[in-house]
Amino acid sequence: MSQVTRERLFGFRHAFDDRVTVVLTLTALILLLLAPLLIFVVTRAANSTSDKRKELWDRYRSWIWLALFILIPILAGAFWTILGVATLSFLCYREYARITGLFRERTISLIVVIGILFITFAALDNWYRLFVALFPLTVALIATGGLIPDQPKGYIQRVGLGVLGFALFGSALGNLGYMANDWNYRPILLLIIFAVELNDIFAYICGHLFGHRKFVPNTSPNKTVGGALGAIVLTTPLFALGAHFVWFGTALDTPVRLLGLGVIVSVVGQFGDLMLSSIKRDLGLKDTAKLIPGHGGILDRFDSLILVAPAVFHYVNYFVGFAVGQPQQIFSGWEI
Amino acid sequence: MEPWQLQPARDTGLTPAERFRSVRRESGLLESLAHHACFSLLRTYFVIAHRLTITGREKLPPHGPFVLAANHCSHLDALVLGAALSPRHRERAFPIAAGDVFFQSTVSSTFSAIVLNALPMWRKNCGPHALADLRRKLQEERTIFIIFPEGGRSRSGSMMPFKHGLGMLVAETNVPVVPCGLAGTFDALPPHRNFPRPMAIKLLIGDALQFVSTANDRPGWLQIAASVESAVRDLVAQSRTA
Repeated sequence: MSQVTRERLFGFRHAFDDRVTVVLTLTALILLLLAPLLIFVVTRAANSTSDKRKELWDRYRSWIWLALFILIPILAGAFWTILGVATLSFLCYREYARITGLFRERTISLIVVIGILFITFAALDNWYRLFVALFPLTVALIATGGLIPDQPKGYIQRVGLGVLGFALFGSALGNLGYMANDWNYRPILLLIIFAVELNDIFAYICGHLFGHRKFVPNTSPNKTVGGALGAIVLTTPLFALGAHFVWFGTALDTPVRLLGLGVIVSVVGQFGDLMLSSIKRDLGLKDTAKLIPGHGGILDRFDSLILVAPAVFHYVNYFVGFAVGQPQQIFSGWEI
Repeated sequence: MEPWQLQPARDTGLTPAERFRSVRRESGLLESLAHHACFSLLRTYFVIAHRLTITGREKLPPHGPFVLAANHCSHLDALVLGAALSPRHRERAFPIAAGDVFFQSTVSSTFSAIVLNALPMWRKNCGPHALADLRRKLQEERTIFIIFPEGGRSRSGSMMPFKHGLGMLVAETNVPVVPCGLAGTFDALPPHRNFPRPMAIKLLIGDALQFVSTANDRPGWLQIAASVESAVRDLVAQSRTA
């Protein structure tokens, strides 16, 4: 393993090499420090019920933990970041498998889990061709594994659920982990996560302020056209500004391309949210789990990120590429 | 075209701590692996350290639901019965354990649920709904319960009378009850000791009993308890003489 690779994987001394990382980390910490004051003022002014107040404080406390679980691995190094994304994939898949009942199909679940492990290895190894090959190969394996019980009844359902689970939580989310192969991965990941979470908040606030027309009343009755448009208008320039500093001087650094990326983050983020709403509504559930107080399950919190990861990855990959100049096949590339 | 049958886990909506204590709990992939690993290791341990012999394993029904009912005088009992089941059975086997011993703290309930796959039975204020939940789980999920109908460990080593709770689980159903006689576990780990001694353990499995036509009322439950008790007593006596 070369010195450069070791520094990227474990070099926490480089945590604050990039200005955007410093700005985003500080902003997150300041928001977490100011939030109690805001909650206090808002609940007093609105004369909220004790239930509502408790929910807000639960949410706030959970956000502290979430912020630590996101910030620490990303700052610590690419190795920890990729493991963090893998953990997120497993937790999301677990919730998905439990709410859809797929967890009872042990063979298929095992194949999806093995698929996620391989995706994680491909990301750690910086082996792009394996990373790309894993989607069709895992799908083929799931379709084969579905044959094992020798019961055609329910074959399409179990294989379909397995493929969707791997596509969303193994393959799509895996793109987030693969981004850590870029030398400057810290600001990229922080910017995406930050923008996606802000996008949710903007949609919520704008929805309350200008939301009149329902957007998709059957899927998510609280979403409004005003909220969705407001989020696009606010998130796009903010993301484009951050992206301008992250990809400064590259082929991506033109106003049109940067704004395009911003629109992708905002629009696809909202679609991710609606996707989970549809899944839950189809199953008749309100939350996917009761793991994070005030939020619900891991999926309820990270739904918007799932579809954004592949969209951003391939948009950026088209113009500048990820992991340019980094050694490939770090572990598997030994000479025979 | 038939619609998909999507059935969320029965424990959806419970917090992790509630879930470990819930009868509705359904194991996932990792938990299943943990039970398998635990009982495979225990089996090896019992065979090596306690020269475990199992007689009559062919009398176990090929698949759930069924109830294993045995005499109880040591903490080893449930572990021996769990280890005696084949890997195919273990997936759905639940030892029914005293809530006040195994599910009191979060640490103990996490261990009991993940490693042993145990379900809690609260000896005080349990009420009939707890047994009704178990009865439903037995039939709907085709599970295997490991039950000690004495309602606790015998402190002297001699069998205590069976309680009729067992009858409430199986009366008027075609769920078989398999009587089991355990010998040697009291000498290996009596209630006052903390660590087991390497004494020989024997497990005798009897013929399955069915109670389809036994009424689901108090006299019926008492009758079930009495007939299972006498079958277990015979097996225990046999295991001592053998």
